[in-house]
Amino acid sequence: MSDFQRFLVKRTAIAAVLTLVAISVIFVILRLLPGSPFETLITTGNLTPEQAQEIIAAYGLNEPILQQYIKYVENLLTFQFGYSIRRSQPVWAILGPRLLNTLLLLIPALITTAVLSSLLGMYAGWNRGSITEKLSIVVTTFLRSTPVFITAIFLLIVFGYQLGLVPTFGMRSLTASPDGLIETYLSVDFLHHYVLPFTVAVLFYSGDFLLLARNGVVEKKGSAFLKLHEAKGLTEVEQLLRAGRNSLLPIITYFALRLGMVFQGLILLEVVFAWPGIGRLLVVAIRQQDYPLIQAAVFIMALAVIVMNLVADSLYEYLDPTVSTTGGGT
Amino acid sequence: MSTGSASVRERLVGRYGWIVDQLRFLAGDRLALGGAVVIALFGFLGLFGPLLAPHDPVAYSARTASGSIAVLDAPNLDSWFGTTAFGKDVFSQFLAGARPTLIVGLVGGIGTGVIGFLVGLTSGYFGGYVDELLMRLTDLTFSLPLTPMALLLLTFVRPNVWLIALIIMLFLWKMPARVVRSEVLAVKNRTFVRSARASGAGHLRTMFYHIAPNVLATGFLYTAYGIAWSISLQASLAFLGFGDPTATSWGRMLRQVFASGAIRVAWWWVLPPAIGIAAVTTSVFLIGRRYEERINPEIQSSQ
Repeated sequence: MSDFQRFLVKRTAIAAVLTLVAISVIFVILRLLPGSPFETLITTGNLTPEQAQEIIAAYGLNEPILQQYIKYVENLLTFQFGYSIRRSQPVWAILGPRLLNTLLLLIPALITTAVLSSLLGMYAGWNRGSITEKLSIVVTTFLRSTPVFITAIFLLIVFGYQLGLVPTFGMRSLTASPDGLIETYLSVDFLHHYVLPFTVAVLFYSGDFLLLARNGVVEKKGSAFLKLHEAKGLTEVEQLLRAGRNSLLPIITYFALRLGMVFQGLILLEVVFAWPGIGRLLVVAIRQQDYPLIQAAVFIMALAVIVMNLVADSLYEYLDPTVSTTGGGT
Repeated sequence: MSTGSASVRERLVGRYGWIVDQLRFLAGDRLALGGAVVIALFGFLGLFGPLLAPHDPVAYSARTASGSIAVLDAPNLDSWFGTTAFGKDVFSQFLAGARPTLIVGLVGGIGTGVIGFLVGLTSGYFGGYVDELLMRLTDLTFSLPLTPMALLLLTFVRPNVWLIALIIMLFLWKMPARVVRSEVLAVKNRTFVRSARASGAGHLRTMFYHIAPNVLATGFLYTAYGIAWSISLQASLAFLGFGDPTATSWGRMLRQVFASGAIRVAWWWVLPPAIGIAAVTTSVFLIGRRYEERINPEIQSSQ
């Protein structure tokens, strides 16, 4: 077995254990929550106590805790998320479309910003001390340190309420009743609702990519291999591209990590724009104590992070074997 | 740093000199200096804001000349920042709202820095199983999605500022831990550490006397970033309605203006808390960047 294969096996095993631990933590927290969704249903008169007992039995909540736990782990690992308590619908039927909405918003935003702000960052790093560099650092520092809902609110007020250029609420107009995926997502109406949340997401993600690219180029700029290229008579742009290629590794791994976090959605962004994504769904589900829905949503979020961490680590190991797996740490 | 024989006065001068040194260093960069001014203002508000507030931020209701409650008044001479949809004075809420923001920022940030520093130091210094165990623990906190977990935890305990600070530090210590660990790995095999060990220094002494000072700067830097993250997260949680229900905070102000629908018209109610949060978190990062350049001179912005 090569070193890389051994690394991969070890890391995959760790990821599997982590998944199990994460699932267990969620289980424990949910069991510790006081009250249950059924209590509210009973006190509001929507369920008689007898009906409630039946439903509790149907959800297996009267079995011994260990048995509940084993069943729970089995179900999650096979993506059997069960039925939502408050919406009497299968969890997947609720979660699936929301997840799609989130990914459709955030993955294009992430790709856009990874390309644009990395290029801008390289340019800024190459032109140290320039106005472009200073300005880009201030602007991106603002964008990455300010909570995303504040940026969202600023832009919402300016472009939504004051200028009235874009809708301020939701993913489609209230009057729209599209059928099927194509009608839902391929329309001017959708695009109109899409543009502002998309812009905020791009701005929010931009800072880290820009700084990574800039710092990478700045660190490479004085190094010997670039002097060689300069001596060989390569143009500035060609040199920059070579310096850029050498600082690509952190950008790629960071992209993978961010991709893992995309599945949680930018909860606050979705709330501000009332975007029907998974983050906003989770906030509502937590308020309603809809256990199966919460379990499934948090599980998907955690799994995505664990898998993409694994991918990022493996990419790093594969692309740059000089970084030892135990030494680097960052 | 032995100050055993120094008089109190000398010590004070020494401390004062340290502050002057820091300010002079920050002044070398206009942005960082601006950040320091904003932070100082914010600290002042956090300490004295509630005392300066002309009215009780919650109990008082502004009245119009005819005696009815002044709802959604634009800024005027009586209420400088206008009034809310409930007739409360925005200026007073803004002044009072700095305190919980400051408390969570400081406690969460310092906790994050201290825990992360200690974990990173221990993990890097001992290596082996200790390292493996602690690093898998950081992997775990990395894989549990922060905001959802915080929301979950805050539903089964009544949120208050201290608890929110605690939850924040429980999830954020992983950041400094990893960076400090990798720096400890670089330092621990240097000659002076080896010779200290060889001349009989114990583990604790070696860790805290010989290694820790060399990674302290990074610890401080991440404590500062921890403060910014804590403020940001606290505001986010309050905005979602999971904040301390008894405290007037900037995040809670934003929640109220958003939830009431007044965000369409009442810019005077939105801007003070929004600008407050944005200015403070950005300032911390601008100062942090200045120190980052000192730790890692290669990334300096001016040649």
